[in-house]
Amino acid sequence: MTTANFESLKAGDTIDGPAFAVSRESIRLFCDASLDYNPLHLDDNYMKGDFGKTNFGGIIMHGMNNFGLISRMLTDWALPAGAIHRRLETRWLKPVKPGDTIRPAGTVKAKQISAKSRWVLVDVAVQNQRGETVAAGEAMLEFPPNAKAG
Amino acid sequence: MAQAESSAATPFETDFWKDAKLRKVWDDIVPGEPRKTLPYKLTQEAIALYCRAVGETNPLYLDEAAAKAGPYGGLIAPPAIHILLMFACTPADDWMRSPGTVNAGQSWSYSIPARPGDTITLQARALDKFIKRERLFVVHDNVFFNQHGDVICSGRGQTIRPM
Repeated sequence: MTTANFESLKAGDTIDGPAFAVSRESIRLFCDASLDYNPLHLDDNYMKGDFGKTNFGGIIMHGMNNFGLISRMLTDWALPAGAIHRRLETRWLKPVKPGDTIRPAGTVKAKQISAKSRWVLVDVAVQNQRGETVAAGEAMLEFPPNAKAG
Repeated sequence: MAQAESSAATPFETDFWKDAKLRKVWDDIVPGEPRKTLPYKLTQEAIALYCRAVGETNPLYLDEAAAKAGPYGGLIAPPAIHILLMFACTPADDWMRSPGTVNAGQSWSYSIPARPGDTITLQARALDKFIKRERLFVVHDNVFFNQHGDVICSGRGQTIRPM
């Protein structure tokens, strides 16, 4: 894991996220926490049906659970250094199901200095236990010039 | 646009089928038209529940004394609390709750943190809709504000609408 220090960060540096065990209970808890009770996440009978050309075969995790895990990884990395999580863009590539273990990770892509601040762009991805990428995207973190670890 | 504040007095309807017939389908959604939204009082309990669901342990979100001594001078919510706010600030007949709505991707920009006790408001609309590979898409445009009118975060998302 690379230290969040603007001066020393370089393309290719990595950020590790926490492993997250997905279960019917974790999905149900996310329903309660997000108020998203879409039957995609609750109702196995409903999920036996087809969605266009897709059949999920059972309930799936909320895509935004991936988003929340990536955001957690970024803030845990950035906040102690006085850096700020400013943007996150994600898309979902594969469904995540009960029994899967997923883990987010980041790779520094670029640094940018603007008129008033300093920025780091990070490629992010979430992989499952088979090494398949289930979500991918890009994040932007601000390292204000006065940040303590900057 | 805003109605009565959503609160514990009006329990959240967790059966998304119940009001399904009241909701707009893809054909009815007019890009540019504001969505009906509800102000929502964000509580420390709701923040703690979100933290538990994704394993957030940062004291800035959970430990009042530590947060008070930290950079924000008090407890804040994690940036991704908009995941909750999206459903908390929209009424039961909003099309975000249509069963079978599939999230196809999101991007969010963060300005200032939400805090426990904030009354959050949402300005939201569909910005665009299109058809791709036999699927019906809507592009969402959302901005959350606190009670002072400050932007907390803004986001754009795409959903695939149920057929």
